[in-house]
Amino acid sequence: MNTLKGTRAAIFFGMLPALLIYIGIAIIPIFVSLYYSFFNWDGISAKSAVGFDNYVRIFNDSVFWLSVKNNIIIMVTGLIGQIPLGLLLALLLNRNLRGSTFFRTVGFMPVVISSVMVSLIWGMIYNSEYGFMNALLGFFGLDSWQRNWLGDTSISMYSVSLAYIWQNCGLYMVIFLAALQNIPGEVNEAAELDGATGLRRVFRITIPMIRSTILVAVVYSISNSFRVFDLVQILTGGGPAHMTEVMTIYMYNHAFVSRQFGYGSAASMLILLFSLIVVSLVNRLGREKDS
Amino acid sequence: MKKRNGIKGAALLSVATTLALATAACGNSNDANNGKGASSSDSGGKGTVTLTMMHPWTSPNADNEVYKARIAAFEAEHPNIKINQDGVAAAQYKTKLFTLAAGNNLADIDVVWPGADLDPLVSGDLLLPLNDQMANWNELVREDALAGFNKNGNQYAVPTKQNFVDIIYYNKEMFSKVGYDTFPATYEEWIDAIKKLKAAKLTPISLGNKEQWPLQSSYMSTLTQRFAGDDFLQNVVDGKAKFTDEDFVKAVAVIDELTKLDAFNSDANNMDSVQAQDYFIQEKAAMHITSATVNARIRIDNPNGSKFGIALFPSVPGGKGDPKKAAGVPQFGIAIKSGLSKEKQDAALEFMKYFVNEDLYKDLSKAGIMVPTKTNVAGEGEINPFLEELMKLTSNGSTRVFDSVIPTQPSKEFENGLQALTIKQGTPQDVAKKTQAALDALK
Repeated sequence: MNTLKGTRAAIFFGMLPALLIYIGIAIIPIFVSLYYSFFNWDGISAKSAVGFDNYVRIFNDSVFWLSVKNNIIIMVTGLIGQIPLGLLLALLLNRNLRGSTFFRTVGFMPVVISSVMVSLIWGMIYNSEYGFMNALLGFFGLDSWQRNWLGDTSISMYSVSLAYIWQNCGLYMVIFLAALQNIPGEVNEAAELDGATGLRRVFRITIPMIRSTILVAVVYSISNSFRVFDLVQILTGGGPAHMTEVMTIYMYNHAFVSRQFGYGSAASMLILLFSLIVVSLVNRLGREKDS
Repeated sequence: MKKRNGIKGAALLSVATTLALATAACGNSNDANNGKGASSSDSGGKGTVTLTMMHPWTSPNADNEVYKARIAAFEAEHPNIKINQDGVAAAQYKTKLFTLAAGNNLADIDVVWPGADLDPLVSGDLLLPLNDQMANWNELVREDALAGFNKNGNQYAVPTKQNFVDIIYYNKEMFSKVGYDTFPATYEEWIDAIKKLKAAKLTPISLGNKEQWPLQSSYMSTLTQRFAGDDFLQNVVDGKAKFTDEDFVKAVAVIDELTKLDAFNSDANNMDSVQAQDYFIQEKAAMHITSATVNARIRIDNPNGSKFGIALFPSVPGGKGDPKKAAGVPQFGIAIKSGLSKEKQDAALEFMKYFVNEDLYKDLSKAGIMVPTKTNVAGEGEINPFLEELMKLTSNGSTRVFDSVIPTQPSKEFENGLQALTIKQGTPQDVAKKTQAALDALK
């Protein structure tokens, strides 16, 4: 404890450069955006103050609520897709299978490939005229299952979700794999001696042991889902007719395409607000369970 | 002015940074910084001037090669001037241009569009008036083509090509298969042909509307003129007409009708315009409606080019517009950023005089691209017959392109409404109402 006390100043000065950069590029712009959100501004001519008008207009815009709904779809499908799938893959790879390094690399690959590539690949898979998905279904005689995956508005958002899950579940696999390998060998041995094997060991021993990691992964998955932009932008551009638009696309279209920087800033403030609410809710739930 | 721009620059940068943080790293913010970096690190060797230039010449169109070759030729002849090019895909070009403009970070030389797209740049004093340089071009370039780049008596850019956005390319064999040896002259016949093509299990029209502009620009510019007359769009901007007027709703209803006939390929909203061209060139569809520029790709540079014909939208029942007119726009105006240092400004003007001259127009003509010149610069016999046919088709006057008259926000609203119609959502009346509301919100 004493040694730590002596170095507290040193720690502070060591972190200062990073802190300053973070404040400069993350904290200050948030307040600048907050300021702009009260103006009507095209970026070129003079700003005019409009008070809360931008927020009122956003709340009255059905497209915005559609984008919120789509964000929730991404969030929920992301949670129920990425976390269990990541855990399953991690459990499989933790069993010292032959070639597990190879599979680990393959599983992590989508995380490393740029989103542009991921979007283009899935765009080709989903194409209704020459795409892989429909060809595969046709091959198995499931012609009636063939769809216009990205164009049919009743399923397009779920098609996007699937690509999103594929892109990210490798990340959770690696996080869980690291946590699994940190479970002390004695615990597993003791479990084995007590006769806990297979699924029972997974649910009674392994998952409780990595509970804190799972909670972190859940929070990360949720906050990540609010940031999704590039995948949707390239896969569908938010279309057809706003049906796959998420909040970031909504904000981008207003701020940068239609040049309403005030309105776009207000939308970005709402993204921040919504993600803070959801993340703090999840954190609280997790803590209540801990106590 | 200077100070305000500085503040604006910082402001935009922070908005961009917020975006980069809120979303995954977005291209715009990064590129904005790169652009800035490039223009400030201009001191190469002694006396070498480096200029930045942003252009949309990235797609496989014939004219893009000509433009890039011209830049290379300039650099070869002027070793003391270096052009740093920033090629941005056409669909994103305007977004990037205006984002950079908002941060006062424009490239030294920019490609700009006329009319409503030029207004914000002019109102922000971001472009250099070229009035005292116009002696170079007044003899060469048609006045009506220059007019779109002229605001309040100042000339801000010189166009390098003449485009028409609404050429219907059609597959002659497929049309004769359903009994049309010539392209249908009236709307009823056109719809009849579409029905027959559909019955023959052919895709009537290939459409790539993922980027949303094709329906707005290539379809609705002309359809608006055919139903509501030449001045309708300007009247709407001036408040003398409304999008909700019956004629305009009828024009929008065409998209609805085509959708209900299943006239488009099923993946129309997931394809970009180049992919839709490919469908057509590979004979997977009987028609494709797009700009005159693509004539080179579909017919001139294509060994099977003679399979394809060109036509304009047919006349419509009770229409107020002349069915011989096409929707034209002088495109790719070259402009120079205002407030450059003397040295850079001189270099930029030097570039512009070299780049936009008779030789460029000649090269473009030879490549099969229409140019906004007063005379045929390519000379007799140098013009490809396919280009000649196109020039003849479009020689009966032009009407204006939708988003060169209507400001960005209502245009975007309109594009979304049209896309909704293609997935059978909403009605033409809704689309008209929302577009009018978006226009009214600007006032």
